[in-house]
Amino acid sequence: MDRRSFIQMLVAVAAAPAVADATAPPSGLRYLRPPGALAENDFLARCIRCGQCGEACPNRCISYFGLENGSASLDTPYIIPREQACILCMKCGVACPTGALERITREAEPILARVKMGMARVDTSLCLSFQGKTCGVCYRACPLPDVAIRVGRLEQPHVLEGCVGCGLCERSCIQIPQAIRIFPNRDGVA
Amino acid sequence: MSVSRAAPVYWARHLNKLRWASLSLVFAMLVLLPFLHVYQSYVAAHAYDLLQPGEKWLYDSMETLTSPFVSDPARQLDSVKGTTWSGTLFGLKLSDPLAVLGQVAAGLRIHWPFVVTALIPILVTAALGRVFCGWICPASFIYELNETLSGWLRKSGLTLGERQFDRRGKYLVLAAGFVLSVFSGSILYAAIYPPALVGRELYYVVAQAGFGSGAVFFLGTLLFDILVARRGFCRYLCAGGALYSLLGRYRAVRIQRDVATCNDCQKCDVVCEFGLTPMADGFGQECNNCTACIAVCPEDALRLRIAVHDIPFQGPGHQGHTWRHQQQAGQQEPPV
Repeated sequence: MDRRSFIQMLVAVAAAPAVADATAPPSGLRYLRPPGALAENDFLARCIRCGQCGEACPNRCISYFGLENGSASLDTPYIIPREQACILCMKCGVACPTGALERITREAEPILARVKMGMARVDTSLCLSFQGKTCGVCYRACPLPDVAIRVGRLEQPHVLEGCVGCGLCERSCIQIPQAIRIFPNRDGVA
Repeated sequence: MSVSRAAPVYWARHLNKLRWASLSLVFAMLVLLPFLHVYQSYVAAHAYDLLQPGEKWLYDSMETLTSPFVSDPARQLDSVKGTTWSGTLFGLKLSDPLAVLGQVAAGLRIHWPFVVTALIPILVTAALGRVFCGWICPASFIYELNETLSGWLRKSGLTLGERQFDRRGKYLVLAAGFVLSVFSGSILYAAIYPPALVGRELYYVVAQAGFGSGAVFFLGTLLFDILVARRGFCRYLCAGGALYSLLGRYRAVRIQRDVATCNDCQKCDVVCEFGLTPMADGFGQECNNCTACIAVCPEDALRLRIAVHDIPFQGPGHQGHTWRHQQQAGQQEPPV
């Protein structure tokens, strides 16, 4: 192999991920970024894929993408709340060296003001309380009860504006499939 | 001559052993830290009774290992975290300069709190050269073992890759990675930089679902080293090596040959993992001060010195045949 073809090979190999990105369809995965994450594009530009947020997480809710969400998010952290939800301990933001996850103090006001991983939404056709079987598990699981979620008659849940999207309600929902889901917010910290 | 042989062994000859101790320690820590993280999560859950037998075994062994030093594992074990790509060492955040460069490329702006974490590695590299590659890099640890393995394979009669490429290839990878990071808005070095991959994949396999795509890439580089070019990835393709080479170009500590004691035995040229030629004073910015050449030199002719530049080629060693023949030929020449 002469130098020219070797260099051409290098460029081809190095360019492959970028080309793959341009052609990859957006994935339909419903995942959350860890709390304090910047807006998606800023997050991808900041995150160096060091894995320290996952190593800091005492609840082990942070996983890492392979190629299933496109090559741009390779090795970036995500949370699938139904598998393991965020307990809002805020240790990942402390561990993150890059500012891709912002440091947020572990107190109610800063968390309410700045964490916005997503927003819970209730599927009333699945929710047991809306079927007349009093449940209320999501309300009991919520770390911010009456701020993020309140219950009405028969413990029927109503999500409020204070929801930060930690996903503990979705994790704890006893219905299969779950009747309450977090819809991710990709616009980052407030 | 025989009197000088009795002199005490040059201290720098022991550095190569120290280097192996350092490489092994770093690699062992990268294996241990994910286990400690899992252990911490069990401690935080306060649910020892609910653990599976294997998980209990992990809990017990990690507790035995850390209990002499740590009373509150869920919190105190946070003081050492991460990998060589970016990590926390007793509260001090350290990052690879390549991570900083990649972030600058992807976002096209400088995030100072992160740049600061690479300051110590940059200063150390400026002073001591690319010591990261030889002394710390967890991928180097595997690549050197891999090179030993291919040495055995060669001895058993197999013909393996001996190709040589242009060393400047890695600067091209560094530049191409920067440009593509700018265009993709994503830090591409993280996917093609072996030490980052090794640390991450070890974490994935211990604490996450298993090896990721990086393991495949890394396996490819190992095969490249065996089948195509010896230590090929480090020599020709590693973007981080390229950056460290540039940072360490004017390092203050470098290996130099003492021409008066060199006997042209060529052991240094053979042992150099990077294919450099210490016997011809060929070090340059590629040398990572690994000191393997010092350790094999029978005459202690290779010395660690404080100097900002290499010595240009000094001719054959004065204890070797070539130089002696030249001297004799010079004496026999008739005066003009």
